[in-house]
Amino acid sequence: MKKITTISLSVVLVIAAVTSCENDLPTFFKFSAYEFSDLDVDGGSWQPILFSSASDIVIEEPVAVNSAEYQAELASLKSATQNISGRQRNAVEYWTNNPVIRWNEIALELAAKYNLIPPPNPDGTYTLPSPANPQGPPPFPFAHPPYTSRMLAYLSVAQFDGLIAAWHYKYEYNRPAPYVTDSSIPYAYKKNTLPSYPSDGAVIAVVSRDILKAMFPLEHDYLNAKAEEHLNSLMWSGSNTTSDIEAGKAIGTTVKTAALARASTDKMSSAQTPKPVSDAIKQAAIDRFGWSWDNQEAPQRPVGLTPLFGQVTMWSVPDVEDVRPGPPPAPGSAEFQVAANELKNIAKNLTERQRKIANWWSDGLGTYTPPGHWNRRAKEYIVKYGLNPIRTARTFAYLNMAVMDAGIACWDAKYYYHYPRPIQTIPGFKTILGTPNFPAYTSGHSSFSGAAADVLAYIFPAETNEVRAWADEAGESRIYGGIHYRFDAEVGLAQGRAVAAYTVARAQQDGADD
Amino acid sequence: MKKILLLGTFFCIAGMLYGQTFSDAIMMKKKEICFAFMFDQGKWDQYWEGTTLITNDNIGTFTRNMYMPMIAYGITDKLNVLLVTPYSKTESTGGQLAGVQGFQDINIGVKYEAFKKDFGKHRVSALAVVQFATPMTNYLSDYLPYSIGLGTQEFTGRVIGQYEFSKTVYLRGSAAYVWRGQTQAERPYYYANGSYYTTYMDVPSAVNYQAILGGWALKHNLRLEANYTVLNCVSGDDIRRWNMPQPTNKMEVTQAGFFVQYYLKAFEPLKGFSLMAAYGQVLEGRNMGKSTNFSGGITYQFTF
Repeated sequence: MKKITTISLSVVLVIAAVTSCENDLPTFFKFSAYEFSDLDVDGGSWQPILFSSASDIVIEEPVAVNSAEYQAELASLKSATQNISGRQRNAVEYWTNNPVIRWNEIALELAAKYNLIPPPNPDGTYTLPSPANPQGPPPFPFAHPPYTSRMLAYLSVAQFDGLIAAWHYKYEYNRPAPYVTDSSIPYAYKKNTLPSYPSDGAVIAVVSRDILKAMFPLEHDYLNAKAEEHLNSLMWSGSNTTSDIEAGKAIGTTVKTAALARASTDKMSSAQTPKPVSDAIKQAAIDRFGWSWDNQEAPQRPVGLTPLFGQVTMWSVPDVEDVRPGPPPAPGSAEFQVAANELKNIAKNLTERQRKIANWWSDGLGTYTPPGHWNRRAKEYIVKYGLNPIRTARTFAYLNMAVMDAGIACWDAKYYYHYPRPIQTIPGFKTILGTPNFPAYTSGHSSFSGAAADVLAYIFPAETNEVRAWADEAGESRIYGGIHYRFDAEVGLAQGRAVAAYTVARAQQDGADD
Repeated sequence: MKKILLLGTFFCIAGMLYGQTFSDAIMMKKKEICFAFMFDQGKWDQYWEGTTLITNDNIGTFTRNMYMPMIAYGITDKLNVLLVTPYSKTESTGGQLAGVQGFQDINIGVKYEAFKKDFGKHRVSALAVVQFATPMTNYLSDYLPYSIGLGTQEFTGRVIGQYEFSKTVYLRGSAAYVWRGQTQAERPYYYANGSYYTTYMDVPSAVNYQAILGGWALKHNLRLEANYTVLNCVSGDDIRRWNMPQPTNKMEVTQAGFFVQYYLKAFEPLKGFSLMAAYGQVLEGRNMGKSTNFSGGITYQFTF
């Protein structure tokens, strides 16, 4: 009996000891509402992306603060801030005073949820996701890296344009925050002098909800619920009255309409080609270069991923051929052999450090993809540097336009050169990462990362060394993973940086640096 | 220690491997020591994606080989300690993903015989086992189904009851709770019914039940057993459509098997040795391979 007691006691002690080492598992970025480093009072004069200027977006003039109508709004806001429940308080704390970050996270989570490659049918054929039948199977979309880069670009551009319009009217009408007009109204966040009409939060809630609904048609209920909670939190937090919110929603609706109009004509809908078109693209590469890429899965996928993504309309680069690199070394050439031997040596002597780098940047199926990875890093810098919502939206907009353009440029090269992967050229070669369903040259990770790092270096100059080192490591990770040759990664990085040069040049002209 | 059976190794259910050793009713006497070496091979060409059984030509036939050196010692007649250090090697015939190999988790167990009583020719016994396992090397658990193990600390509490008829036939049941901690992946984000912004993953804990019908033959030199085992995680997510498994998955398995052990007591120079063989077949599962396992092993026992 004494032994049983001893054993029981040991059990409890071991469980207690082990449990105490358990780590917190965060499901979103933990940060609190913070003081903005600057309010960007001239933000309304910045150059939008989809409009010629902020005044193209029209809203009603607000009623005067001393009007009976506004006083009634204040009274109703005051009552909304009182006796809020625990759930409402959690919502206020979750959304913070920079909700652009939360919508970016929601977008990343949906990307991860939908980044699943269609499975084969029992007869060995594949059915592709279709927006006409989003339920599938397979469900629409397959949120692969090109899809996700484009989704994030439209989301961020719409958020940015919406906030330029919001800032424009905030400082045109100068309606003070509710807590300024009525000091008995509590405010949940950090006080500042930003005018409250129209509500910047409402702009963000509506554009984000509606862009994401277009991108993820099976998530309407989820997105409506998120937006509703966000819009309600604007009152629970004491941020905005009803007319502030309605004006913000009107801006959001105008901007999302323009963004989705561009999306409907950017040629993404023809990026995933039928087999005859795909075969013609492959034959063109054989005629030009004498080589071609083939999918190595079983059963073989008849068409690679989005062969014509390279023809999608770019944001900042006039012509995709402006950033098309020269050809890779021919398979079998001496230069190729050096690269292939490097891969064989790495696979044979893989170090733990190399394995970790390969996995750290793998961002493969089922994850938020490399564009998502860079958005996450941008988000962390945004909070670190205390950016306000319009600066935040600008950061994401240029980041994601550059990343999407880099993807377009990379995909142009991938299908123009149609270069085979290491598992195709090196007999018996095994890898620690799955080889994606598209040609090797140039590396998508490298191109995305080269572009992302340079935009972040422009916005956060003090972080230049860190972000460039990350981009280099992201490129290197594909070599360690055995799925790219060194020249894919090196040329991809340079290609991404060449794309970002156009993006940064555009950003420097938008008025925000003045 | 008189017997060891290796149950199935599927994606990687370390807790099942030594199921028999840690769940039988047999005690070594004080100062007895036993060395064993076992080999187990599990193969599957179908697996459960969630609860749907599928084939995947990019895996083809999956093979996991386990090499298990083991040592057991009688501290007293009623208290035994056991130690296992398995080495795992994986490969598949389809696709291009590289298999891996290396030492898995060190398992330490203490077995206590709480009750034993004879009723005429029959005997009833009850035992309790506590078991602790922790990775021996920094292998990557987030590489399923190839990974060497689940990469987490594991703590098992088990109770065992046995009824032996006339010292020839016995019925045994055991029940265990397998508490599992976290494992560390090498990616900073993963999706498990939602976003996780961390490298750490919660590995689901599990319950384990086993029922055995056994008997002795050939003058108590040959033992035969039929077993039925269930190991079910109590939480976790399912493998998503055509996606890789991950350590957060809710793995479940039901397996039936046979075990045979022959003691070489009659052959004077080999009298401390025994030979073992086992077979197991997974019948039902979730987020696991439908594995068929064959094992063999040798034990050597003497008084210290």
